[in-house]
Amino acid sequence: MTDVADRPNGRRSLHDTDRHTRRRNAAERRFRLYGIAAIATGLIFLVVLLVSIVWNGIPAFTQTFVTLQVELPEEKLDKSGTRDIAVMKKVSTFGYAPLVDAAIAAALAEHGIDNPFDKAKKLRAIVSASAPAQIRNAVLANPELVGTTQEFRLLATSRVDGYLKGRVTRESIARDKNIDAEHLDIVDALRDAGVVQKTFNWSFIFGSDASESRPESAGIGVSMVGSFFMMLVVLALALPVGVAASIYLEEFSTQNRFTDLVEVNISNLAAVPSIVFGILGLAVFIQFAHLPQSAPIVGGLVLTLMTLPTIIISTRASLKSVPPSIREAALGIGASKMQTVMHHVLPLAMPGILTGTIIGLAQALGETAPLLLIGMVGFIASNPPETFVDGFMAPNSAMPAQIYEWAKRADPAYYERAWGGIIILLLFLLVMNIVAIVLRRRFERRW
Amino acid sequence: MSPLWLLIIILVLAIAGFVLGRARALASVDDHRELHSRPTYYGINVAMLAFVPAALVLGAWMLVQPLVINVMVSGMIPEDSYADAGALSLIMSDVRRVADGLDLAVSAGAMTEAEAGSISTEETDIRARLGEVGVALGSNVEPAVLAAAQRYRHLAKTGRAIMSGVVVLIAGAGFFIAYRQTNGQFRARNRVEAGILWLLIAAATVAVLTTLGIFLSLLFNTIEFFRLYPALDFFTRLEWAPSFSGRGGASALGILPLLWGTFYISLIALLVAVPIGLFSAVYLSEYASATVRAVAKPLLEVLAGIPTIVYGLFALLTVGPLLVSVFGEGGLLGVGWMQGGTAVMTAGLVMGIMLIPFVSSLSDDIINAVPQAMRDGSYGLGATQSETVRKVILPAALPGIVGAILLAASRAIGETMIVVLGAGAAARMSLNPFEAMTTVTAKIVSQLTGDADFASPEALVAFALGMTLFVITLGLNILALYIVRKYREQYE
Amino acid sequence: MKDNLEGRKLVDQMDVKFKARDVQVFYGESQAIKDVNVDILDKTVTAFIGPSGCGKTTFLRCLNRMNDTIPICRVEGDIRLDDEDIYAPEVDPVQLRARVGMVFQKPNPFPKSIYDNIAYGPRIHGLARNKSDLDDIVEDSLRRGALWDEVKDRLGEPGTGLSGGQQQRLCIARAVATAPEVLLMDEPCSALDPIATAQVEELIDELKQNFSVVIVTHSMQQAARVSQKTAFFHLGNLVEYGDTDHIFTNPVDPRTESYITGRIG
Repeated sequence: MTDVADRPNGRRSLHDTDRHTRRRNAAERRFRLYGIAAIATGLIFLVVLLVSIVWNGIPAFTQTFVTLQVELPEEKLDKSGTRDIAVMKKVSTFGYAPLVDAAIAAALAEHGIDNPFDKAKKLRAIVSASAPAQIRNAVLANPELVGTTQEFRLLATSRVDGYLKGRVTRESIARDKNIDAEHLDIVDALRDAGVVQKTFNWSFIFGSDASESRPESAGIGVSMVGSFFMMLVVLALALPVGVAASIYLEEFSTQNRFTDLVEVNISNLAAVPSIVFGILGLAVFIQFAHLPQSAPIVGGLVLTLMTLPTIIISTRASLKSVPPSIREAALGIGASKMQTVMHHVLPLAMPGILTGTIIGLAQALGETAPLLLIGMVGFIASNPPETFVDGFMAPNSAMPAQIYEWAKRADPAYYERAWGGIIILLLFLLVMNIVAIVLRRRFERRW
Repeated sequence: MSPLWLLIIILVLAIAGFVLGRARALASVDDHRELHSRPTYYGINVAMLAFVPAALVLGAWMLVQPLVINVMVSGMIPEDSYADAGALSLIMSDVRRVADGLDLAVSAGAMTEAEAGSISTEETDIRARLGEVGVALGSNVEPAVLAAAQRYRHLAKTGRAIMSGVVVLIAGAGFFIAYRQTNGQFRARNRVEAGILWLLIAAATVAVLTTLGIFLSLLFNTIEFFRLYPALDFFTRLEWAPSFSGRGGASALGILPLLWGTFYISLIALLVAVPIGLFSAVYLSEYASATVRAVAKPLLEVLAGIPTIVYGLFALLTVGPLLVSVFGEGGLLGVGWMQGGTAVMTAGLVMGIMLIPFVSSLSDDIINAVPQAMRDGSYGLGATQSETVRKVILPAALPGIVGAILLAASRAIGETMIVVLGAGAAARMSLNPFEAMTTVTAKIVSQLTGDADFASPEALVAFALGMTLFVITLGLNILALYIVRKYREQYE
Repeated sequence: MKDNLEGRKLVDQMDVKFKARDVQVFYGESQAIKDVNVDILDKTVTAFIGPSGCGKTTFLRCLNRMNDTIPICRVEGDIRLDDEDIYAPEVDPVQLRARVGMVFQKPNPFPKSIYDNIAYGPRIHGLARNKSDLDDIVEDSLRRGALWDEVKDRLGEPGTGLSGGQQQRLCIARAVATAPEVLLMDEPCSALDPIATAQVEELIDELKQNFSVVIVTHSMQQAARVSQKTAFFHLGNLVEYGDTDHIFTNPVDPRTESYITGRIG
């Protein structure tokens, strides 16, 4: 039996701490330190992630251009001299390529730079493979240009672009057969002469994807359109269906087997891996219903089913937060239950519903895995859809799928594009979340 | 008539119904206050009865007709021309392409209707003719296929015609009945509200249908797979080596190496996420001042809002190379454990980062649900804060935290993008966390995005993998929700 | 102030356990306790009575620094336990609370076994040398909590499974197990039925042989039944303090009289 007198900390003064308590306090400090360390680690991860996104992605927003005076000789581009487009079309991009070589050579001569190559063709490695096509398109659009010398801003190749951005170095190209150290010497000189310039890259934001060998002309614009149409589908389907389902569950349903089944399903669907929704989309929408592969409509349908639980959960929460007194007031003056819900409860819950919807859309916008299975990857989104219906039905990519596609390509120049694409994707998500937060702050009612 | 036109017709009928129904109700009484319901409800009632049943029949018909025709036509394909059900479905898709191609050719004006109906394989190169209108066929058209395609066209046309008649008839009947019912005493509002209620119920059913859709699409294809590949081998073989030639049949499709990769990566992810997440939650809810909490909590939750593709890229391009420079050949430690950037460790680490906010916010909720009286009781006895947390709060919150960890585990197991980009493609059962391994989800992606024919075991195995994944995650979720709910009840 | 001085004269020269001088308590800007002076005696039951919100619980929580857990709470003045300032910077509140135990309004057993509930305090303070020592402490505390006979066969069962009155006696036993010198009780019977209340009151009466007990109560009958000294609080002031018999039969202050006769409350 313990007695008051023989306690270890019995009559000891409060003013000196005994050893046991000191040990306990040390443990206390250690524990607190673990907590701080855990939070710090989490925040460090966040910072490292964001820094590596910004650091790697910012270069994608600038692009190296070569400004050249290109001579457009009539004898090569329009032998007949009739300026007949149909005839001029017969000259393929191969016919335009020597013009580029000549223009670079001319620029070198003008600025007094040595041309180390004996073959004119070798100079071509400085500009993108898309350059002849660019000149050809300009000529076909305006045949009057033939016979004059025009200034063109041509994309530099990804190697030159990378060299100016510091990604490509003289060491790294040692075994690269696309470009030599001599090219880089020329580029250095041309940059000093102002012929080669790095400027902001609008075509990355608004342009279309390019083939594997031309990373310099790849842009995310078309897949952005694909994402946009998918989000339209999600918004048009998930919002009404989600709200209707929530109204039923929250306002009309009684506790029965059916309601239980729906509740269980919703909470489980919220946790089903997204890839499984991709399998569903593949099996039901493509194999069974024969909807076109890679089409935003299919992506939209799959993402709708994925987003539905999120919207239902948040809508039910905001319906629940409308106090019963409002319902009683409306019922008390003879409104039917349906009128009460539609005229009073739903409008009051609207800000919460919209907030939940925007957050659901943001989730859907960043989702990638299901899109892989319905064929929105591996497809080169080179043309924007021509009509509104095409926007839904024609094959396209989506932003996250485009990023994945770039990440898989072998050329490191595409990694830069992938990081850049992530910046754009995150900006969209940021804006959506800010809108949701503002909406909540602005309209949230405390009852 | 095309379905779109039918839809427009019944829509027009509905709008007319709205206007006429409303007018008839108003005309039936002297003063509109004598009506049972507001005039609009009478209009909606007529519109609803004209539109909804007809639209439902239209939708159902369009869903069922292809199935029925498929069954009727597939009997025409000689049985000796295909080996199994998979091959039959390939032939049937050829039949549909030919039939659609002929329809397209007629509508594009490249063929007359009579020409399309009498075309034969001997006289015309159908492949070339259809190629002109943009329908590409994989091979020359067999006579049997052409015959089936013609029958298909005929049945489809007849079906369409009957459908048009039936749908218009139903819409008209609905319109007529509702219009006749309309008078001042008719309880239009009650009818309309009942209709809306059914609409709401239908919306709630979507969730059930989605689950059903997932389950059935997994189930049928899984059964199909087990018909081609023994289930016992799938579950017990220690080797994963699909043949790339497609239908070679020499594939080894054992799930165990994939499950091992999945669990190994998830384990590492949890080893990162659980301590960090849990300690963060404890610090934020028990120690942090209001300001620190207001800043740190949302910042940590930013990690949860970042799409998984971003984490995937982060693993592939940042974390992988970083780990190689430490653990790789000639790295900082000079141990040479790691051969390439993609590895179990890479994917697990990044996945762990992704799960930190998941664990911390769930645990935060659960810790906050422990009543203040527990803390007071402990402080009142002279316990320090950490003693209170470790010996009273955490044990009290333990079931909830276990539930949260299970939910996080189910997330980790189902995660796709991080492992596709960060874990590698080789199916391996090794203990070295610095080696590349692969997971169930990664293989679902690679088997369904490759060139393999959908009817081959190499593609169908993805559905069996999906089924396994679905069952595991569903089990974990149900268990977790059950534990969390039990825990909540304890304090209510 | 004058009232307090009057009150102090009534204190006879027994062992003074707590000596409080000019105690002020603030919650943020608002003052909850004003100029409280009181001496609490050893081996005595002292009751704090007064209307709701008068500060009696707040003052009670000052005595073992439980108010430290409320961030906006600020205590000024001088409180001494055995003539040592308990708010001195070098004092560890953890050590203080081991000597000044507390029992709360609502029974709050931990979701652990009965045994672990009792053993919690001795374990964290390192009071037991070994397992059998701990067993002894648990049995002794449960006996003092008048609960031993009811639970001795089911020490492994969760404390939350006991009835309300048993839970509260478990909490008292739990507080007793750390061998405190003072036991603070914040309306310990407010969540209990009359039978359980009677059991707890009986227990308090026994506890006063070893401890100084301070009890906050809403029930004047309870104060009259269990306490030897009574302090009447009103609007944050200690209005009157003295022998319980005296306060209830012959209150000096008119406010005390109004409260006792039921005119304010």
